Amino acid sequence: MNREENEMISRCQQGDQEALKEIFDQYHKKVYRIAYGVVRQREEALDVVQEVFIKLLRSIKNFKGRSHFYTYLYRMVMNTAIDHKRKAGKRFMSSLDQEGSFEPSAEAEKGPEMILLQKELEERVRLAMDKLPDEQKAALIFRDVEGLSYQEMAEAMGCSIGTVMSRLHYGRKRMQESLKDYVKRHGEGRGASTVSER
Amino acid sequence: MTNSCSSISTVLEKYFDQEVTDEERFLVEGHLQDCPACRDALKSMEELRTLMRVPVEEAVRKEDFPWVWQKIEREIRLQEKRTWWQSLRSWLDVTPLFRRKVWIPAVATVVVLLFITTQIIFKKTPSYPDVSVVEYVESQSDNVMVYQLEDPKVTVIWLFEGPEEERTTT
Repeated sequence: MNREENEMISRCQQGDQEALKEIFDQYHKKVYRIAYGVVRQREEALDVVQEVFIKLLRSIKNFKGRSHFYTYLYRMVMNTAIDHKRKAGKRFMSSLDQEGSFEPSAEAEKGPEMILLQKELEERVRLAMDKLPDEQKAALIFRDVEGLSYQEMAEAMGCSIGTVMSRLHYGRKRMQESLKDYVKRHGEGRGASTVSER
Repeated sequence: MTNSCSSISTVLEKYFDQEVTDEERFLVEGHLQDCPACRDALKSMEELRTLMRVPVEEAVRKEDFPWVWQKIEREIRLQEKRTWWQSLRSWLDVTPLFRRKVWIPAVATVVVLLFITTQIIFKKTPSYPDVSVVEYVESQSDNVMVYQLEDPKVTVIWLFEGPEEERTTT
């Protein structure tokens, strides 16, 4: 943690909202990415972002600086998003036409078939992620969406690197299983005997 | 898949996640040149990552974050301005138990119990005047009984005329 970030966190711990704004400016995209990765719905992801920063203002006093600030923040985002998703429950089991589901960027340039296919794909990914245990889901989002290293993931998830690798391995395996029509599966069973679920 | 695939499998995922040492990278890349099965396994991991990442990046690109900050600021201000009564109300709204109005009979019971307890504790016991004087004077014709109270000043006189008649004057 650098000196500027230290100072920013210290000001935020004293209730300075300007410092919170600085933290928001620095981390909002990462927070949104993780939140969206879990809930996969725009409005819900925005609710999570809002909840996280309000919660942060209240709870940052508890941050003692023993770990990196971003891992502390990422853990908070992940827990909030998973809680949010759990509470929302069946609202997420929606149809393909639901507002907020993935819409391709240059829709005008794509044919209706392409748009439909992309929406269907996004829905399939969402359903496949919903089936994952929370730990595996968190591991996949931290690594494949946010691009954290194993060490950073272990810090954010409060576990060993071996556990991180195991969760990633089984998470990917389950996702490939659920999305086998979209993702080619090769080397069936390979690796399963070498990494045990912790 | 060749026999050496099983030895590579432990590091293939680490290779995909860019967590290998130089030595391991050299080993995996050498293996991948000759093994289409492992190349395909790597490709399917990449496809999965793309499937998960692209919609998220798309959503981030489209979002208006300054508006999100304004919403957060507004919410913080709102929470700061709340009176104790509003906080209590919002707490009652948030708590699932209270949302179902289960609290109404509970509060009613507490109020009734409080009322009964207060009545028992502060119940006025009948008090008698501090000082009273009773005098009884007997004679052959009439009997007189005088009853005096200090506060309030009241005097009650009974006059007994004969054994069966009695009068009271105050």
